[in-house]
Amino acid sequence: MTRSMRRAAILAFVTIAAGLSIFLIKTAYLGYPVSPGVKSTLWDFEIFLEFTGQDEPARLEVFIPANSPDRALAEEEFYNGPFGLGLSTDEATGNRKAVWTYRYPSNKKVLRYSAQTLGETAATPLPQVFRETKPEVIPFEADAVKRQAFIVWTGELRRQSADDASFAALALKKLFAPTTENDGLADEIAVLSNDLPSSVARLELARQTLQSQSIPARIANGVYLTDDTRRAETRSWLEYHLGGEDFRYFPDGEPRRFFTIWHGAAPLVATTGVGELDTQIALQSTSNAAEALAGKAGGGMDFVSTYFTFNKMPLTTQLVYKILVTIPVGITLLVFLRVFVGIQTLGTFMPVLIGIAFRETALFNGVLLFTMLIALGLALRFYLESLQLLLVPRLAVVIIFVVMAMAGITILLTGANQAIGLSISLFPIVILTMTIERMSIVWEEDSASEAIKQGAGSIAVAGLTYLAMTNSHVEYLMYNFPELLLVLMGICVLMGRYTGLRLTELWRFREFAKI
Amino acid sequence: MFSIYGALRRNGVLGINERNIHYINELNPRKLIRLVDDKIETKRLALAAGIPSPELYGVVANARDMRSLPDMMRHPDGFVIKPCRGSQGNGIVVIDGPLQNDWRLASGRRIRLDEIRFHINNILSGMYSLGAQPDTAMIEYRVKFDDVFSKVSFKGVPDIRIIVVEGIPVAGMVRLPTAESDGKANLHKGGLGVGLAMATGVTRTAMQHDRPVDLHPDTANPLTGIQVPYWDDILLMSSRAYDVTGLGYLGVDIVLDRDKGPMLLELNARPGISIQNANRLGLRERLRHARELAKEKKDAAGRVELGKQLYRRVDPPAPPVNEPEMVSA
Repeated sequence: MTRSMRRAAILAFVTIAAGLSIFLIKTAYLGYPVSPGVKSTLWDFEIFLEFTGQDEPARLEVFIPANSPDRALAEEEFYNGPFGLGLSTDEATGNRKAVWTYRYPSNKKVLRYSAQTLGETAATPLPQVFRETKPEVIPFEADAVKRQAFIVWTGELRRQSADDASFAALALKKLFAPTTENDGLADEIAVLSNDLPSSVARLELARQTLQSQSIPARIANGVYLTDDTRRAETRSWLEYHLGGEDFRYFPDGEPRRFFTIWHGAAPLVATTGVGELDTQIALQSTSNAAEALAGKAGGGMDFVSTYFTFNKMPLTTQLVYKILVTIPVGITLLVFLRVFVGIQTLGTFMPVLIGIAFRETALFNGVLLFTMLIALGLALRFYLESLQLLLVPRLAVVIIFVVMAMAGITILLTGANQAIGLSISLFPIVILTMTIERMSIVWEEDSASEAIKQGAGSIAVAGLTYLAMTNSHVEYLMYNFPELLLVLMGICVLMGRYTGLRLTELWRFREFAKI
Repeated sequence: MFSIYGALRRNGVLGINERNIHYINELNPRKLIRLVDDKIETKRLALAAGIPSPELYGVVANARDMRSLPDMMRHPDGFVIKPCRGSQGNGIVVIDGPLQNDWRLASGRRIRLDEIRFHINNILSGMYSLGAQPDTAMIEYRVKFDDVFSKVSFKGVPDIRIIVVEGIPVAGMVRLPTAESDGKANLHKGGLGVGLAMATGVTRTAMQHDRPVDLHPDTANPLTGIQVPYWDDILLMSSRAYDVTGLGYLGVDIVLDRDKGPMLLELNARPGISIQNANRLGLRERLRHARELAKEKKDAAGRVELGKQLYRRVDPPAPPVNEPEMVSA
């Protein structure tokens, strides 16, 4: 054993031992489960505001979820930076607001609110206070034209319905699912809803229509709890109480689980003295209820659960790390395929980068897109060969062409398959271009079959690394046990000293098996 | 699968992983590798050590050098234009000689001065160099190939590759172009690798695409039993290449010139392992023996002698020469 071999073995042993012992402490002493198990419905919820101060007094009013006895919020946290924070609750609507203020902010600023919630379902009852509200009777009192339109609109609805229940159903149908036969009231709807953005406007009109019949109704705003995401869309729906029953009408389709943030037609954030505001709502389902409890009863091992975890970070950062920590798994797999199997790929780590890009597109679409772009790019590259361009301008032409080809594919597929068209945005253009360049060089200098072999090898490896990186067990293990990165590093060190034959060399030197 | 692995190991097959770790990483320091990646530098080193190599007529490194290009090309016997950091023979243009106001390519086609200039510009922009780095073009003596391999070559450039470990030549092969390899002697393009009996320099075994062959696929002449002329000179040159570069694991590429004998064409710091298939012999044992023997620290001639001890130990007996009339030494 040479000195370099000994040193490599020591490094590998130390890293693997360190990683595994932290892993064992977590699982054996601190009770972390080693597999994701049953998904609980606990969601981490975060409102993240990023903006530029303009050296003038700034005020940001943000609706935050109400913390009422019937809906407890766990782990509520505010990140204020230098800002002052005031909280207020509106008794009538039940809305809660965070008001952040600062006299002279400059540069980029960040504010954050986070909490944990179980969310609500369609079966969640509406509060008693709301059920008993005595609504206003005459809307649009000030505006004679609208008043007239409203009378025509409700009068027509009343004529066509038998009772309150059919009145409400008909009003919602005419507003949200108009057909050619019943759009006789389109003009009235247009007049009555022209003050507000269209998504909220019709809900607001529906609310006024129901309330004019003494049906308690209100607009609720919140998010659907469906996927982990860094940018959840805010959704609005209508809640009303009729004949002793609670109803919710979801214009965007009914979710299995949702989370109400505020009520009314006002926007989520109202600001003064602030520029370039970016509002993000991040959602993350906590993988296991047991995991949330784990690490609390560690005795002297507390430090392990304090330092070897991502759970203390802001939610948006956590979601980035969730992806980041799986990349070494893909890299390790790639090293294995190269050192033990001997698969030839175009560019050393290119397959892993393509595999990461598949995250946006899913596997099938990703492979399809990748193959199409490479084929188009290669065709152009061969044509450029005859123009005898200099190297760097030629690469630039290919990059521009790849962008155009992507745009073309998006336009073509927007109607047919939205998923491809939308997911294309983050496909790595420069990596694609370098792949095309490398492939064309192999094509010319070696042979077409060699180039296709390496291209297919690259896609196969990219697919494998993608599957490894997105496997739910791998994601769970790497995210909850980041110390496993040390183990992967040790494994790579060991593989770096493998001097045996590769699988492909068994074929290459097959004649020796006959001697 | 494991039985194949076992059989290959028993026969001493060296894999790429082992080559990289135990030979390139251990014996070839990176700053020395730089010397041989640059062909002008290689030529300069060879010249200083008295190793014959094709004469350098001129170097074009930038647009200003381009003005003196016609002077560099004033050679009635033709010349070769090469990228200084090219690999696998890409970007090489062989010019036979002047043709009225233009030049004639080896293929017989006419080429104009501005076409030559365009090609040199491509070389300078890095089209043929590793990693597309900007490069230099060199113009050098055109080798007139010795006839020894003419019956077993299809057009193109036959050359001899010797693997040298710490100055001891351990294995060799002749690389022969075929129609399939398009006149290039690259093995993975379908060129032939013909193993050499190291003690005598007689061709012994041959392969194409990692499969054994006996006859040249285009000329149907037998590939074995050909005596390579100047064999002892070739071994000595190869061994001296170690002295001038310091690279412990070196591939030495040599061509035979009709008038000037063996000439050093280029040096390779990462020579491949297909030579095992050409020779139908594993390299592991002989590389290990060679490193043992090299501890004796001899000069080039001494190391060639050490090599001969090695061949007696690990080589099968040398085959007879079957076509003595081809020997032109």
